[in-house]
Amino acid sequence: MSNLLVLLILLPMAAAVVCYFVRSSSVRKLTVLATGGILTLASLGLLSQGTFAPIEVGSFLGIGSDFLVTVLDFVLLGVIFFYGYKHKSLLVQGFTLAQTVLLVWFEVVMVGHEAVPALMGDQLTLVMVLVISIIGSLICVFAIPYMKEHEEHLGLKKTRQPRFFFFMLLFLGAMNGLVLSNNILWMYFFFEVTTLCSFMLIGHDATEIATKNSIRALWMNAFGGLAFVVGMMLVYAHAGTLNISAMLALGPSGAMMVTGVAFLCLAGFTKAAQVPFQSWLLGAMVAPTPVSALLHSSTMVKAGVFVVLRFAPIYAGTFLSTGIALCGAFTFLSCAALGVGQSNGKKILAYSTVANLGLIICCAGINTPLALTAAIMLILFHAVSKSLLFLCVGTIEQAIGSRDIEDMRGLYGEHPRTALITIIGILSMMLPPFGVLLGKWMAIEASADSNLFVVVMLALGSALMVVYLARWAGSLMGTREPGASPESQPLLIRVPLMTLCLGAVVLSLTSPWFYNSMLAPWIGSAPFTVGFGSLESAHGTFVVVPLFLVLGLGLLYAVKAASGYRKVKIMPPYVSGVNSSADGTYVGPMNGDVPFSTGNLYLGELFAEPKLTPIFNALAVALIVLMLGGAL
Amino acid sequence: METLILVIIGLVGAPLAGGLLAGLDRRVTAWFQSRQGPPIMQAFYDVAKLFGKEKMVVNQWQILCAWVYLVAAAASVALFFAQGDLLLVIFVQAIGAVFLVMGALSTKSPYAQVGAQRELIQVLAYEPILVLVFVGFYMVTGSFSIEAIWAQETPLLAKMPLLYLALGYALTIKLRKSPFDFSTSHHGHQELVKGVLTEYSGPYLGLIEIAHWYETILVLGLCALFWHTNVAWMALLLAATYMLEILVDNTMARMTWRWMIKRVWLLGMGMSVVNLIWLYAG
Repeated sequence: MSNLLVLLILLPMAAAVVCYFVRSSSVRKLTVLATGGILTLASLGLLSQGTFAPIEVGSFLGIGSDFLVTVLDFVLLGVIFFYGYKHKSLLVQGFTLAQTVLLVWFEVVMVGHEAVPALMGDQLTLVMVLVISIIGSLICVFAIPYMKEHEEHLGLKKTRQPRFFFFMLLFLGAMNGLVLSNNILWMYFFFEVTTLCSFMLIGHDATEIATKNSIRALWMNAFGGLAFVVGMMLVYAHAGTLNISAMLALGPSGAMMVTGVAFLCLAGFTKAAQVPFQSWLLGAMVAPTPVSALLHSSTMVKAGVFVVLRFAPIYAGTFLSTGIALCGAFTFLSCAALGVGQSNGKKILAYSTVANLGLIICCAGINTPLALTAAIMLILFHAVSKSLLFLCVGTIEQAIGSRDIEDMRGLYGEHPRTALITIIGILSMMLPPFGVLLGKWMAIEASADSNLFVVVMLALGSALMVVYLARWAGSLMGTREPGASPESQPLLIRVPLMTLCLGAVVLSLTSPWFYNSMLAPWIGSAPFTVGFGSLESAHGTFVVVPLFLVLGLGLLYAVKAASGYRKVKIMPPYVSGVNSSADGTYVGPMNGDVPFSTGNLYLGELFAEPKLTPIFNALAVALIVLMLGGAL
Repeated sequence: METLILVIIGLVGAPLAGGLLAGLDRRVTAWFQSRQGPPIMQAFYDVAKLFGKEKMVVNQWQILCAWVYLVAAAASVALFFAQGDLLLVIFVQAIGAVFLVMGALSTKSPYAQVGAQRELIQVLAYEPILVLVFVGFYMVTGSFSIEAIWAQETPLLAKMPLLYLALGYALTIKLRKSPFDFSTSHHGHQELVKGVLTEYSGPYLGLIEIAHWYETILVLGLCALFWHTNVAWMALLLAATYMLEILVDNTMARMTWRWMIKRVWLLGMGMSVVNLIWLYAG
């Protein structure tokens, strides 16, 4: 058991060091592949051993591990302060200094330093470890050929890949540490490591805009770190322990405890890029695509929702819970709306990520067994589909040199394989019988009990998401000329894409069993019963497997019908009877060929980003103040 | 077993009823306009004729999308007749709506593209209303499944009249009636040719027509749930609602999507929310 835990946390960190110091590309490739493989196996091994009670971690080289974490904490704060100083960011310096002062006081004056079992593993942890280790590894594997080509595009003299893979792998180790932590000081340490890693990775290309956006990410997350320290101190002042499972056992008890948790949730909000903190995640789009995939699916933002979910039992039934549900639902609605106005593929994905994270946080706030089930379902399926989509956009960008969805029109004609996988990925984000929709369905059904505002926001938000995802998927379809040359993809690109694509479908199909084995035991009173491959609850029934069968057979028939298209007469599109001989043109004045073009409707007057963002930010700040104030 | 029989009745009966309704619709419209109108079976003749036409497409995606549209529409009706989960019914129906749009977007056609964008805006308008109506059902019955509605003693219309009116907006959009028919104008004189349907022709257009019949019956089925206690009153409610739709269709000019979004969101959502507040308070 403890060997597996060491593997999951320390192996990626050790591999990161290897990647950094051994500057050979083949060693790097081998290290990343081997780490990915071992992490995958280790996470599955942990899953097979099941949950475990909090365990103690001994000492390293004669130094107590708790002391080691404390020392590393201050080293880390020093490093972050250094970067704040180097980039002349007063915000970073201020937030880091405040954290240091508070942490010194906490460590020296407040904490009794009793022995606390450092690591624990409940079902929530196990699911997170799976997501981090498997999806994270696939993204790192994808990054091997991607970064090679990326650097060729940039024309670098000296490769920066050692540094890149150092932080990618370190990130995975830190995330595993975060979700396995039982000592809140450990959780705080790993929380801060992810802040540093994301800062380094966002600024990786070292362009002016990359540096600017990385500093924004750093100050926002340093603010989150400060909120974490404050929350930690308040909770400790009430509960008198650093042991998270002991805190959870206390439940909602006293205003100070709830206020402390409110600050911890605020830290989660910054990390999960909830409005008004969404700008750092959107700014992170300047990073190489594997970084975006990692931040959006298996690390960073998932750390934020994890913290909110982890402490859910403590604020159950309080006003804070309602406040969190409202904040999450508001983020869901506002980012779904902002997504409609975007044509940049990565930005669309970013807004859809923030919206989905809002939905997860909203579910944590609703805080019923049904809602918490929805939250974990969404974490899992969103991770699979979103990492797939980011990797697809990366592949497309390297193929066509643009990430704008208008430029991806008819992509199927040139790159059928990539286009097809992307279309499946997009559909898996919004339609039944796929898992993300299953989660959304649970969320809406759970919200009906909760609060009218939440219901209305969820109803509007889910419709908005359909708009921008559907038009993107449709634009990718196109005509493939007979005899066009097949698309070639490097093996290390194709394997992650195919694995994630298959994973999205197969996991959705097996979701009832996943629910039965992982989620039902986690939640005291299981909301669903499983029968005939369907999830049945008092609220309603989602017929997972029957729907898969019916729609799958229907799709197969449709594919068969479509594959006979060569027998069908292929016609040019209708242009009022004035088609010219050249494709995409009509006969215009003076009998000349006039080309026509079409574009998506981005509903600019309703969903313009510059117009809406300040309004949404102001409303979100008001909601967060309400949430924190209501906890007092 | 009983469920299976109901599903089969739904799968076979819905397109027949939908086709007949389309024929009746044309007769009543003609009557409004002092014309005689085509025979009631005209809709079936039209589709039969479409299936006899030569197969022509711009690309193969359209074939796939037309079939998936039909499969999803039939599946949602089957789920409705199996008395399944209302939210799930509408999500399955959304598969069809999305594929119809994607098929249109797959072509380079300017008319189909404009139609597809407008169709998406229509989805944006009616989907939240439907979800809120279902939340209303939940507030009254304590469940999202249709089965729970049959257990109610009193007709739901008494408790959720405003939600029924809001559903009327969704019905008008789904039936593609004026003033909300701007993605596939069904009046010949309007400028958009056939919007989202422009590039579908022959047998594939026939498939879409049948899928549309399924959807018509689905939305009317939702309306029928408001008076489940008595078949005669249910029939009367449906007849009155549909007559009103035809009347609105013939007296209103088509409006723009801006007008639609504002009306449906402000008025439709407003009415829904007011009605939901009653239910939450009650």
